Amino acid sequence: MKRMTFVQALNDALDLLMAADERVFLLGEDIGHMGGDFGVTRGLFAKYGGERVRDTPLSEAAIIGTSVGAAMVGMRPIPEIMFADFLGTCYDQIVNNAAKMHYMFDGQFKAPIVIRTAAGGGFGGGPHHSQSVEGWFMNVPGLVIVGPSTPYDAKGLLIASVENDNPVLFLEHKALYRVRGDVEEGYYSVPLRKAARLREGTDITIVASMKMTHEALAAAEELAVDGISVEVIDLRTLRPWDQQTVLEAVAKTGRAVVVNEAPKMGGLGADVSATIAEECFRQLKAPVQRVCGLDTPIPFSVPLEKVILPNKDDVKTAVRAALAD
Amino acid sequence: MDAELVLKLYRNMWVVRAFEQGLEREFKKGNVPGMLHTGLGQEAVQAAIANALRHSDAFFPDHRAHGLLVLAGTPGQKIMAELFGKATGVCSGKGGSLHSADPSVGNFGDNAVEGSMMVTALGVALAYKMQKRDDLAAVIIGDGTSGRGEWHESLNLAATWKLPVLYCCVNNGYAISTAVGASHATENLYEFACAYKMQAVQVDGNDVVEAARVTAEAVDWIRQGKGPFFIEYKTWRWQGIFSGEFRPEVEIRYWKEEHEPMKLARDYMLKHGIADEAALAQIKAEVEAEVEQWIAFALESPPPDLAKATANVYVGWEVAPR
Repeated sequence: MKRMTFVQALNDALDLLMAADERVFLLGEDIGHMGGDFGVTRGLFAKYGGERVRDTPLSEAAIIGTSVGAAMVGMRPIPEIMFADFLGTCYDQIVNNAAKMHYMFDGQFKAPIVIRTAAGGGFGGGPHHSQSVEGWFMNVPGLVIVGPSTPYDAKGLLIASVENDNPVLFLEHKALYRVRGDVEEGYYSVPLRKAARLREGTDITIVASMKMTHEALAAAEELAVDGISVEVIDLRTLRPWDQQTVLEAVAKTGRAVVVNEAPKMGGLGADVSATIAEECFRQLKAPVQRVCGLDTPIPFSVPLEKVILPNKDDVKTAVRAALAD
Repeated sequence: MDAELVLKLYRNMWVVRAFEQGLEREFKKGNVPGMLHTGLGQEAVQAAIANALRHSDAFFPDHRAHGLLVLAGTPGQKIMAELFGKATGVCSGKGGSLHSADPSVGNFGDNAVEGSMMVTALGVALAYKMQKRDDLAAVIIGDGTSGRGEWHESLNLAATWKLPVLYCCVNNGYAISTAVGASHATENLYEFACAYKMQAVQVDGNDVVEAARVTAEAVDWIRQGKGPFFIEYKTWRWQGIFSGEFRPEVEIRYWKEEHEPMKLARDYMLKHGIADEAALAQIKAEVEAEVEQWIAFALESPPPDLAKATANVYVGWEVAPR
């Protein structure tokens, strides 16, 4: 094990993937000698050259389209879209092209691309640099959405995503980039579609992902002081998410809080809580609580942003509400 | 031009014509679901493109390229059956008219979002270059696509990265009902490509001899590693809009009679003694009979196995039925 940041873990994964497989190449804005806006691709241009670490113009549709086309003929592209908010400019390539390709041509083509992008708020990035976009893509059959919460998982899930034959939207929460953690050295993968139980508990189950798992863990720690035993599940793959692990956990505790940074309406939190309600209705001792972002864009001013985004105190409030029922 | 080649192009133009006429007839009878975009009037362009490509190339066809899919080498009955939504179709009926791909002949499928495949083609071309292949990616696009952002992103990157992309811009004068010049800064779309510093020409898309010559030269240029090439084929589509014909009488007469692609090819062959009227009539009759067999095959084919509805959403993962 080696102590490293989320960014270093991702960089390590990209390095190992490129060394292991000549078909892997990177493309995106300022990912070359600059090493990316957050430094995730730092050093790779010097090591692998401009053919495989390819700087592009501000042409997001072309970044994704180029990736899809190359993947159709056997390559393993890892495009970077600098901020998840910019995915609107290449939405068509992801939704109508990458995600549908295998289906509409009845298996004759596949589009194994891994779109890395920086998502999430909490740093005063303003309305176009702060959004949690998983909800935009939840309704897209054929697409995989991954969102790690630890450096260990960031590396292992990125490797697993590139090994997988489906198009993957790989969400990197900006607030986690500098988080440190223990990471295994060398090449390893963490399975897709498999949630992780980050904390055992018996009174209530919290289902979260990315930065919200950290809010959930902090809430659980503080609630433990009051004798409340909280279980925390990290989804890791957001689509298709691991229903089995979540439903088994909720069936055991009988109470659930679903935490998602994105706006509440129509999002990941809605799908998880609806599925729990459908499948665990008879085991539930209280209604499922949802802790989500407010139904607004993300404002620039940090005090305002704090109003919008959920935190550990909101999680604690929801847990107490569920336990009071 | 070589007599054998002209005869082949003429036969291939009839494949396009007969395919579309048969399809249109069956569509009106209610045998073809969905929407119908025919390539009638654009036969010379399709014959010219098919002639220049090889199976190891990739091509992305446009909405009106059913005939080209057959000319590329896929058995005609498999394309026809796909358009009828049948199990025997090239994508088991899941793609239809706008998504009839067949990688075995280099057909990478149309994208119904006009112009979107222009950036997909970049990726194929880039991969071929990285894989040190001398194959190319051809993308067949209509005039209306020049309004899309992907058009400009694609031309810019193909030129910047010197990618082996052949742009076949089929300018038939209208995007549905809107004339090219009424909605673009120019009605000569190759001028856009010139601005992106790539080889770009405009040809008479109804003159199969000229269109085939220019397309073959463009392909040679690309295979020499010189970068992308853009061809604008000036042509005209027979199909009007959903409510009927909207174009002026004089324009219709020019494109459908005086400058009609079959007529131009026929005139050329008679003038150069390549074939006589009887031989040309024979070609037409043979192709039409073959197309009728494809239609019969499509009509007789079973509908898709219903399990196909949830198949191949993900590679390797099942999607639960209801």
